[in-house]
Amino acid sequence: MAVSSWRMDVPGLDGKCGQASRAAADLALGQDALLTNAEVTQANFPLPAVQNLDHFGKKVEDLVKPDHGTTTLGFIFKNGVIIAVDSRASQGSYVSSQTVKKVIEINPYLLGTMAGGAADCAFWQRNLGMQCRMFELKNKKRITVCAASKMLANTMYSYKGMGLSMGSMVAGWDPSGPAIYYVDSDGQRTKGTIFSVGSGSLYAYGVLDQGYKWDMDIETAVELGQRAIYHAQFRDAVSGGTCSVYHITQSGWVKLRGNNHYDLHYQYYPDGHATSANSVI
Amino acid sequence: MSISTYNGAAIIAMSGKDCVAIGCDLRLGIQNQTLATDFKKVYKIHDRLYLGLAGLATDALTLNQRFQFKHNMYKLREERNMNPATFAHMVSKTLYEKRFGPYFVEPVIAGIDDDGTPYITGMDSLGAMETSKDFMVAGTAPNSLWGVCESFYRPNLGPEELFETISQCLLSGVDRDALSGWGAVVYVIAKDKSFVKTLKGRMD
Amino acid sequence: MSRWSPYDLNGGTCIAIGGEGYCIVAASTRLSTGFSILTADKSMILEVNDKCLIASAGFDGDRSQLHKVLTFRSENYEHFHKKPMSCPAMAQMLGNTLYYKRFFPYYTFNLCAGLDDQGRGCVYTYDAIGSHERVGYSCQGSGKDLVQPVLDNQLKAPSILELPPKVAVTSLSQAEAIETVKIAFSAASERDIYTGDAVEIFILTPEHGVQKEILPLRRD
Repeated sequence: MAVSSWRMDVPGLDGKCGQASRAAADLALGQDALLTNAEVTQANFPLPAVQNLDHFGKKVEDLVKPDHGTTTLGFIFKNGVIIAVDSRASQGSYVSSQTVKKVIEINPYLLGTMAGGAADCAFWQRNLGMQCRMFELKNKKRITVCAASKMLANTMYSYKGMGLSMGSMVAGWDPSGPAIYYVDSDGQRTKGTIFSVGSGSLYAYGVLDQGYKWDMDIETAVELGQRAIYHAQFRDAVSGGTCSVYHITQSGWVKLRGNNHYDLHYQYYPDGHATSANSVI
Repeated sequence: MSISTYNGAAIIAMSGKDCVAIGCDLRLGIQNQTLATDFKKVYKIHDRLYLGLAGLATDALTLNQRFQFKHNMYKLREERNMNPATFAHMVSKTLYEKRFGPYFVEPVIAGIDDDGTPYITGMDSLGAMETSKDFMVAGTAPNSLWGVCESFYRPNLGPEELFETISQCLLSGVDRDALSGWGAVVYVIAKDKSFVKTLKGRMD
Repeated sequence: MSRWSPYDLNGGTCIAIGGEGYCIVAASTRLSTGFSILTADKSMILEVNDKCLIASAGFDGDRSQLHKVLTFRSENYEHFHKKPMSCPAMAQMLGNTLYYKRFFPYYTFNLCAGLDDQGRGCVYTYDAIGSHERVGYSCQGSGKDLVQPVLDNQLKAPSILELPPKVAVTSLSQAEAIETVKIAFSAASERDIYTGDAVEIFILTPEHGVQKEILPLRRD
């Protein structure tokens, strides 16, 4: 189904994209991937006939108000990888959705997370999913987390300066074990063990760093991920909705939790939360 | 960044049959960071008169103190409580005094007269009054609140039904605003029976 | 002198509700620019086929171009595949069509709604650059912040993200859902100057196909 609807867009994909960095991107993937990558990621994005594209881009962004605002986290521990995310999208202070799926299931062993512009994340990670599948078909083996994240980083780098907004974690399990890579729209790509991305990431880091231990059991790790997201949703105005938690092992990912913030709050604090101020009655 | 959306607020006032209700959310934040979830934005002037102040929290606290002072002085001179309409005009005048360096607040006033007649009014930060016979809203997401009020409000409700209506409006309205919510409190003022209730809301 | 802009904002509100065995798509018909009304009778709903409708608020110029492109592609699809395009397929294509204009967006706020293969109502909601999500109900356009909390209150269903999974479709009957749409539009026309004159309501069911109803709104 995915392929057939993509075919609908073949006319849009036919164009040539004359960016120098594309060559570097293709090179990094080796000879085989060169053809694949050129086929699937070269797209013809029409540009407005204006002098200052930056200025136009900023004005349009004010006008169309794309969805924003997120807390996502991921960490590696003894028993695999945990990925936890919130589900709110906002346009300024307006909550445009409470049910966004911010974990993109690239394949049964790979997950991507969304932070930043919702459209940029969703589109390019779907595109990454296709690139990964193409790799699998050509090479008759699953792609590594390292290679997959690099494909995304290369795509991002080739659009650098165009105003894309994405902060993503590519996480999964490959023959070398568990891995998380942070990839963003500036083209940065970093390997790590604990990451949190988005407007609520600082709150999540607070909880995560406090509770993290390498040899946690799975239940403790899942609870830690959920707790970190819960607190970020509580403190950060533009994070909220539900908290989803995924666990990745060598047999692939499973979604273990999906809890509404309302239920979580009254479960964690049935007698109220101690957030007091100088209220005047 | 707008100074009137710095702290976040949502206030609704509604009139019923010989009763009024006024409610507010409980969040105090600094832009996107939530600091407290027990910050009431509705202040009691006397048993039958409440004042809601949305906008910049520091100005709201200062203004409330000034109004308490003014109302105390009025009581000493007149030996009676202020009429809601009188109080509203006093608020309006106090705000207009600072025409060229305003307090960044939007007041909503709800009360009942001696005979139980409901009185509801709202103002902009300069004191331009808008009295209403049904409902009035203020805060960081006025449109969300207007929408629910227009849809769910019915005239001549009793205190209990009015409480239910304003609570539904408040909770549904703030859930689409990132800067307000985190619980709510509703005051219902009737001639013989007034009550306050705290509402459980979403905490995100 | 103000600089010329390729965009205008023509206002208007649209709502879509997907239920068990029905789908409702409604949109106001007023077309405005600034404080003037251009026409009181302009549809912003595209009938792709009897299983899929698209409602687009925002800039009417971009809306008309977008609808033309989508019509072309859906007809193409029908010729190639000998079947009408399904609503989920159309939804993904609309997302891609919008994203391919990422750097010069269609200034439109879309809803794609209809019936899926099981005959259930399905609604997809978009931002202007193609981010989309399947939901139970949604609204777009100038009155969306007035209407959305009303729909939340009346139709709220558990999120599809929750575990263990819960039924994420509204339990409202078709008649109740239509009534909710009407109340929401009356409310929006009271407070939003860009919503008024009339609202066209399309009702999709597997049994009766597409039915249309028009509700007059305030004209001031």
